[in-house]
Amino acid sequence: MKNRLKVLRAERDWSQQDLADRLGVSRQSVNAIETGRYDPSLPLAFRIADIFAMRIEEIFQRETEA
Amino acid sequence: MNTSGKTLPRRAGWWGGLMIATAAAILGAKLSGAINAPTAYLLAVIPLALGAQYFRALQHPQPDCGMTSPALRRYNRGIALTSLGYALGMGIAMVLWNGYRLSDPAIFAISLLPALPTFAMIAVMGRYLAQEEDEYLRYRSVMASLWGLGLVLALGTFWGFMEMFSLVPHVWSWWVMPVWAIGMGIGQAILGWQADR
Repeated sequence: MKNRLKVLRAERDWSQQDLADRLGVSRQSVNAIETGRYDPSLPLAFRIADIFAMRIEEIFQRETEA
Repeated sequence: MNTSGKTLPRRAGWWGGLMIATAAAILGAKLSGAINAPTAYLLAVIPLALGAQYFRALQHPQPDCGMTSPALRRYNRGIALTSLGYALGMGIAMVLWNGYRLSDPAIFAISLLPALPTFAMIAVMGRYLAQEEDEYLRYRSVMASLWGLGLVLALGTFWGFMEMFSLVPHVWSWWVMPVWAIGMGIGQAILGWQADR
């Protein structure tokens, strides 16, 4: 699954640790999600969406989507 | 699952390594007959002191390792404590077994000395998986546990056949725990390597 986490973070000038602190997870978790090695659960995906005030599908996309 | 260098502060890993190395050296010297039991007991103060330093270092995890949580810190403390109990229990049981003629109930009791800390170790691992709120860290721990289980099953099966064909000697079954822990360490190392790529 692709995601726009890195771009969204950069737009807000947040480090991975900043986002991890907001989500209440480890920096490793943010790194793993951001690089596509780990797909978050639905509850965590909703928390990410809430933090960026966006819908989940605006942050995460299927690999096949452009 | 104190099996990954990344989950432990480097200072704690250093003290833990020294503790294990000195304990192994003393045990080796005792088993080889180089020192007697009272000397081994006296020398055991060294790894115990290093163990105390290990616990102190665990209280100050490196904040920049990026892989920590309250549940993981509780887990590390629990594993350190039960590992110490295991080493102590094993040492005491070996000394009693080698030094005295024991009755069956006494043998049952000394068998429990190293076994009970391993039961506690398993409980600590279970509690960690139940309490870890960071789903990625939980995922990594579960995957590392599966690596450990895979190593135990593969090695146990292979060794069993080699033993059946009289190629290798019989090995006592308590090896499953350390081999599982080694497998977890390998799993965590591989997962860590993948994460750093």
